[in-house]
Amino acid sequence: MLFRFHNLIISALFLLVSQLSADDTQAREIFVEAILAEGSEQTALVESLSTTASTLVPDFLEAWKRGDIFLLEADGSAAPTPLLEVEPEQEGGTPTYFRVIDGEEMAAGSFDPAALEMARPSRKTRRVFTMTIDLLALSTPNVQERADAALKLGLKRDDDILPKLILLRETETEPSVIEALNEGIAVSMLSHGTKEGQMDAIQLLRDENSIAGLDALKNLRHDLNDGLATHPFSEEELAKLTASIASIESYISWTDFVGTCFRGLSLGAVLLIVALGLAITFGLMGVINMAHGEMIAVGAYSAYISQTVFYSLFSESTFALETYFLFAIPFSFLTAALCGFILERTVIQFLYKRPLESLLATWGVSLILQQGFRLIFGAANRQVRSPSWLLGNVEIFDITFGFNRIFVIGFAILIVFGTWFLMAKTPMGLSIRAVMQDPQMAAAMGIRINRVRMMTFAFGSGLAGLAGVFLSQIGSVGSNLGQSYIVDSFMVVVAGGVGNIVGTVISALGIGVTDQALQPLLGPVMGRICVLVAIILFLQWKPGGLFPSKSRSLD
Amino acid sequence: MIKFSETQRSLAGIIAVTFFLVVAMPALNLFGSEGSFLHISDYQLNLWGKYLCYAVVAVSLNLLWGYTGLLCLGQGLFFALGGYAFGMHLMLMIGEQGAYKSALPDFMVFLGYKELPAHWIPFKSLSFSLLAVLFVPGIVAGVFGFLAFRARIKGVYFAIITQALTYAACLLFFQNSFTFGGNNGFTDFKTVLGNEIFAPSTQRALFFISAVYLSLCLFLIWWLTKTKFGKIQRAIRDSENRVRFSGYSTTTYKLIIFVVAAIMAGIAGALYVPQVGIINPEEMRPSKSLEIVVWVAVGGRATILGPVIGAIFVNWLKSYSTYHYPEYWLIILGALFVLVVLFMPNGIVGLPEQLKGFYRKHRFRFQQKKEAAAEA
Amino acid sequence: MSTQEKAEAKKKEFILTCEGLNKSFDGFKVINDLNLYIDKGELRTIIGPNGAGKSTFLDLITGRIRPDSGTIEFGPGEGVALTKMREYQINRLGISRKFQTPSVYSDHTVYDNLLMSLNRNRGAFAALFYRESAADRERIDEILETIRMTEKRSLIAGSLSHGQKQWLEIGMLLAQEPKLLLVDEPAAGMTDEETERTGELLLSLAGSHSLIVIEHDMVFVRQIATKVTVLHQGSILREGTIDHVQSDPKVVEVYLGRQHEK
Ligand SMILES: Nc1ncnc2c1ncn2[C@@H]1O[C@H](COP(=O)(O)OP(=O)(O)O)[C@@H](O)[C@H]1O
Ligand SMILES: [Mg+2]
Repeated sequence: MLFRFHNLIISALFLLVSQLSADDTQAREIFVEAILAEGSEQTALVESLSTTASTLVPDFLEAWKRGDIFLLEADGSAAPTPLLEVEPEQEGGTPTYFRVIDGEEMAAGSFDPAALEMARPSRKTRRVFTMTIDLLALSTPNVQERADAALKLGLKRDDDILPKLILLRETETEPSVIEALNEGIAVSMLSHGTKEGQMDAIQLLRDENSIAGLDALKNLRHDLNDGLATHPFSEEELAKLTASIASIESYISWTDFVGTCFRGLSLGAVLLIVALGLAITFGLMGVINMAHGEMIAVGAYSAYISQTVFYSLFSESTFALETYFLFAIPFSFLTAALCGFILERTVIQFLYKRPLESLLATWGVSLILQQGFRLIFGAANRQVRSPSWLLGNVEIFDITFGFNRIFVIGFAILIVFGTWFLMAKTPMGLSIRAVMQDPQMAAAMGIRINRVRMMTFAFGSGLAGLAGVFLSQIGSVGSNLGQSYIVDSFMVVVAGGVGNIVGTVISALGIGVTDQALQPLLGPVMGRICVLVAIILFLQWKPGGLFPSKSRSLD
Repeated sequence: MIKFSETQRSLAGIIAVTFFLVVAMPALNLFGSEGSFLHISDYQLNLWGKYLCYAVVAVSLNLLWGYTGLLCLGQGLFFALGGYAFGMHLMLMIGEQGAYKSALPDFMVFLGYKELPAHWIPFKSLSFSLLAVLFVPGIVAGVFGFLAFRARIKGVYFAIITQALTYAACLLFFQNSFTFGGNNGFTDFKTVLGNEIFAPSTQRALFFISAVYLSLCLFLIWWLTKTKFGKIQRAIRDSENRVRFSGYSTTTYKLIIFVVAAIMAGIAGALYVPQVGIINPEEMRPSKSLEIVVWVAVGGRATILGPVIGAIFVNWLKSYSTYHYPEYWLIILGALFVLVVLFMPNGIVGLPEQLKGFYRKHRFRFQQKKEAAAEA
Repeated sequence: MSTQEKAEAKKKEFILTCEGLNKSFDGFKVINDLNLYIDKGELRTIIGPNGAGKSTFLDLITGRIRPDSGTIEFGPGEGVALTKMREYQINRLGISRKFQTPSVYSDHTVYDNLLMSLNRNRGAFAALFYRESAADRERIDEILETIRMTEKRSLIAGSLSHGQKQWLEIGMLLAQEPKLLLVDEPAAGMTDEETERTGELLLSLAGSHSLIVIEHDMVFVRQIATKVTVLHQGSILREGTIDHVQSDPKVVEVYLGRQHEK
């Protein structure tokens, strides 16, 4: 299947060829020549393809290697015509043929397919295929691709390529590409350079913090120890090499550390959004909402629904994919808040005085919702696609920052700030806090406590819904999506100190980072177990959490 | 009419239940004529044996939650630990009759073990395994309880961290590398104490033991509630600080109760495994422990027979509805729970009292209306 | 004997010695370098405006909270340091406390409340196999008599009125047979007549017991007080007889003129 798909692309290339670019025309000519040539002449021609800057070259060479290029013998002494064979779409159909020189399709019956002879590249030519494709990348106009190709070629440590890289460095103007070339050349130099070249390379790799060069440096040291190196090193030089390795390694551990912190922060950010909702419903209102996890799922399914709606409204266009998410965010918040509102009115409002029982009743609700999701959306998980602007990443100092993670962190900051503002600075927040501390007194002061509780609970649930949108971008959406987060987020609230937003923030981030830091060491499951155990032990030391509540009541 | 005290009535209830379970049911199974209304089939008896194990777990949770106010969301963990401990023995008793004809348990062969891990070896001995059934849940509860109670974690927070403990243990047991069979757990048992495990006579004996054990637990609870210890237990539930300032080490009391409840549940687990023929980490899922709480709440907490009634009723309902309405079972369970919490705070056992109160209130209103009408 | 030795000897007479006590919550000093000595058999009254730290002081003695610094020693002779002990251990030494808000076992009968407070072995196993002896029953009857609740013995404590709960809690204190009683605002919620009776009861206990009583009701204080300590912002403002203290301008200012302070 994949194979045929590939051929389709090639045929598409050939069909589109009426208006060839100059590069492509040139490439085709050289290619035909190469097919017809022999021996070292063929090899040289293929190598020269790398300077054409034509995007067709890799496909041509691929096809040639695979044996899809055939020769149609011409009458008399004229040279044979090279043809490209494309597999038929249906099983058992006949293949179609295109002329390599201009991409025209050969009319069926105008020739005898049985008379075709496969064109085989010579063994030596075959060997330069990959290098040619690689070198070709060095002539693309795209700066990033060029830089990548330069580094990649250098890492091959091929003494055929090395002079070409050095040559290229002379003409290159783009600084980032020059840098990559330098790095690549330095790595190659380690194996093939003179002693001086090697020493320069060691220095340069160290200065550049070249992670890519680390292996080459280590190999060199290995070779030196085994006495296999081309030039023996003095003590001093060896020390320099070792220092260079150490410097790069410490750089790597630094980037690893920052990367771990970053991933931890983003995990913590999701946890934080979940836990913030809990901090409000559990911490402030004293309601243990076991259905909080299902509010997350409501949010995630809302994202799925908005995707479906956008797809059906705008067909499966890029526009729908790029914009549905912007709609999904408020939509998920509102649906989850609505569910929270209904839950509060029907169940929780009767249980404010019985916190343990609110735990049990909401667990019942959670079961109902989970099964409800299964009945509505099916037992299989649903996929929600991410808009392209969440998929990319930037690399700074060799650390990859995924846009989706950056987005979650940014959004969490926004939400935390918003919640803090709502609680601390608005009259609404004041009445919320009043109701939470002493409902009877608040009622006596003329606050409509039912309304405040209702809205607070809806708000907390809405936050869970928001968390659901982000989780839908990380994995698939299923009926027990929330279950895997609920235990963790309760622990976040407990460890942070119940009813304290700052505590929740700190403990969510702390737990997120610890989790990420432990995972590579212990594996995902043991990592989580360790985090849970650590929290239990932490509570030994600070039973009230990071920021214990200050109630003095006797029981 | 002679008025019986609460304790006397409970005692009568326990005796009736004991008679029914220990004498009547096995007798009906053995001597009841096939097809008669009174006959209890082997299948039914086995099913009830399972229910009785559940009932014991519910009783143990009631000891914690109902009488001491410690809502433990990890009772299923202790149940499973007891089950695993005895399951290890059963696994080793399979001997070379397993699918791979190896002295090692099948899952070990499958996972490429070369020899029995060291901590498995003592489980070849029955008495060691039985001790493990007591000590494994007991020690886990002891250590965890010590830490939790020392840090004065209680109420909702206790519930949450016991759930976290259960969750952590569940994740651990799902791991193949933890040497307890990963997510498949233990199964394919062949013999128990040398008897063929699924022979009707073996299952009948297991039922009988479960019934006797449940009765013993009920008598223990009944006796406990009468002692000063039981009074202090309830005082801790209502006003722990006052108890503490009266010179009682509430930590010790709670720890003892927690460990006893864990062991009680562990033994129930050990009886459960040979009756159902399987134990796997599913039993440890946090939701299983929550289900146990449902049984107690439905039956009526802080009552002696409530948990038994709740466990049997809910599980009967579960068997019934998973068979007839498999799609809706979870919804039924969830709704049952919400309704019980909202409208039946005292569970099934408290229902007559609740109805009586309701009736009185109603009659009072009715009479008032009638009087008003008469006056007019 | 040097003066220092004399002081040492004197200290041995104290049933409670608090020195250099400090406690702050979030940087707010609630107890501030407090030194207090209670003689054996003494009835000490502590007064002071709301928030002066009176209840917090009792919290420190009973082990409910730990001081930031300072020592609390209990007992005639070699003092036992209380600051490292747990609540139940302190109670078993013979220190009992009545809380400001009455705290009884609300689900138990009045009788059971007293039974559980009796000064018997309070270990878990002892509790399992405890049987009421005739002596225990007599003692409880006696206490019921004292707190005038004989006919309410089988009522559920939760159903009592505020004042009755106060009485019951005092009864529970008596049942514990403590050496030192800490009584936080006993008269709240009582009628004048009951207040007076409470006073008489406390006075009758003095001598054989040591007492610290916290109270606001000046009539009540006048009734019982031999020595009064005025607590203000966590440290002692004045100590002396009631007349002495009441005529002190500083005390008057603290009680009446608090608004001028700020
Ligand atoms: N656990 C606590 N956390 C924070 N502040 C406390 C705590 N306990 C007491 N305080 C503060 O200490 C001060 C003294 O309280 P308290 O001892 O109850 O005064 P009173 O003399 O009226 O009994 C009050 O301002 C109170 O707010
Ligand atoms: Mg006070």
